[in-house]
Amino acid sequence: MSSRQYIKLAGSLPPRLTRFFARYPPQALLSQSTPPTSSTPAQKHPVTGKWHDPVFSLRRQAELVKLARQHGVEELLPYTVKGTEERLRRRAENGLRVKGTGVGQRVKGKESERTLKGRLEKRRQAMLEMPQMIQTWKERGHGRGWKKWPK
Amino acid sequence: MAKKAKSRTIAVRLVSMALTGYYKTLIRPRTHRPLSMLKYDPVVRKKVLFLEQKRGGR
Repeated sequence: MSSRQYIKLAGSLPPRLTRFFARYPPQALLSQSTPPTSSTPAQKHPVTGKWHDPVFSLRRQAELVKLARQHGVEELLPYTVKGTEERLRRRAENGLRVKGTGVGQRVKGKESERTLKGRLEKRRQAMLEMPQMIQTWKERGHGRGWKKWPK
Repeated sequence: MAKKAKSRTIAVRLVSMALTGYYKTLIRPRTHRPLSMLKYDPVVRKKVLFLEQKRGGR
């Protein structure tokens, strides 16, 4: 595309997209010498080693992609995990798999869910010993001689 | 200052020995021996032994 076409295109886009493209022009427009500026993934600072949040949050990235797709200019956006191509690739890779259910993964679950089996087993054991316990309780004068009170 | 008098009765907790975590709260005289009785536990749906929990300050 020539620059004239780009200018015409920019006029037809919603202001939100033009603002984005003004800040992060598509690679095709940039001269080869300028390094690509990235706005989307979280970045590690080269000197301090600290992580910086992405300039555009995942939610805003998704919104921009949607808007760009509506106007047919998605390929001009920089790479983002919210892009259609990336989404299709993930869908092909994972199918309709629910997160955490893949090979080698497991769902942690609530504490009550994790300990349920053990608690039921303990209860079952206690119920097996219950007739014997009641028998001794009756023999010891209905609690008069009882020594083992629960904590 | 004089200490406040202790009440004559105390509230005690009788826990189900079926280890279901179910309990009943009863009131007994402070000087009485610990309570224990057979009572219905709705979790296991049976009459089981309930024993008084030892009371300890936290």
